Amino acid sequence: MLLFRGPQWDRGLSTDELQQVMDKVITWFEGLNERGKIKGAQPLGGHGRMISGTDGRLVVDGPFTETKEAVGGYLVLQADSLNEAVEVARSMPTLRHGISVEVRPILAECPIFQRHPELVRRPTKDATRAEPALTEMAA
Amino acid sequence: MSTTTKSDYLLLFRGNAWDRGLSPAQLQKVVSDWMAWFERLKAEGKCAGGHPLEEQGKVVSGKRRTVADGPFAESKEAIGGYFYLTVADENEAIEIAKQCPGLEYGSVVEVRPVAEICSVKQRAEEYSKRELAAARA
Repeated sequence: MLLFRGPQWDRGLSTDELQQVMDKVITWFEGLNERGKIKGAQPLGGHGRMISGTDGRLVVDGPFTETKEAVGGYLVLQADSLNEAVEVARSMPTLRHGISVEVRPILAECPIFQRHPELVRRPTKDATRAEPALTEMAA
Repeated sequence: MSTTTKSDYLLLFRGNAWDRGLSPAQLQKVVSDWMAWFERLKAEGKCAGGHPLEEQGKVVSGKRRTVADGPFAESKEAIGGYFYLTVADENEAIEIAKQCPGLEYGSVVEVRPVAEICSVKQRAEEYSKRELAAARA
């Protein structure tokens, strides 16, 4: 999964500059798509909420999309290796305008199970359905 | 993707070291609750899918396209996984986020609407319209 961070990279660019960059982005995206590399991709809206605390009692606006860390969109990439995914990320045209791309392998199973091998893979209530839950997440 | 009555939201689960210090029984309860929660949302047709992310990845940035290790595994901000929701509205997405079993142990859930159109493209179009209007005036 590629996470695009810093969604306000367009600030300060002229319309012409922006048009050129967006043309490059669209060409980049379509090239990947034609090669069958894209399983899904969406931009994310600026207005979000951050939920925290027991039972989610804290609900605040966020994240601030002005920050360089805020995620502005994602792309689920079909790559043969982390190296290939990194090379695709390096070819993203908006890197020179200040975005960063986080490249994260998608897992079939939660890494908690690797850290704690004693855990049993079962949902709380639906015990009749044996163990499919987290492996299905990768399907 | 979306219809007139449903909208899509992404839940980003932040904080990927919430399991530190939990007893085996507590851990078992959280992961079992989490699996049951995911199964229920899928059965209700509210969750189209979700994945955990490997903790170690790479971050690419800058004009020189530098590649660094990241994000740092034990960070409260690091994204540990996501759900893709199709729900009635933002309130329903928030209510679902509040059910996350990791919240009690310090997880933070970011709720983000999936946009129809990239915000940069939208701003560029608005900017062109303003320029056109100014040129006509």
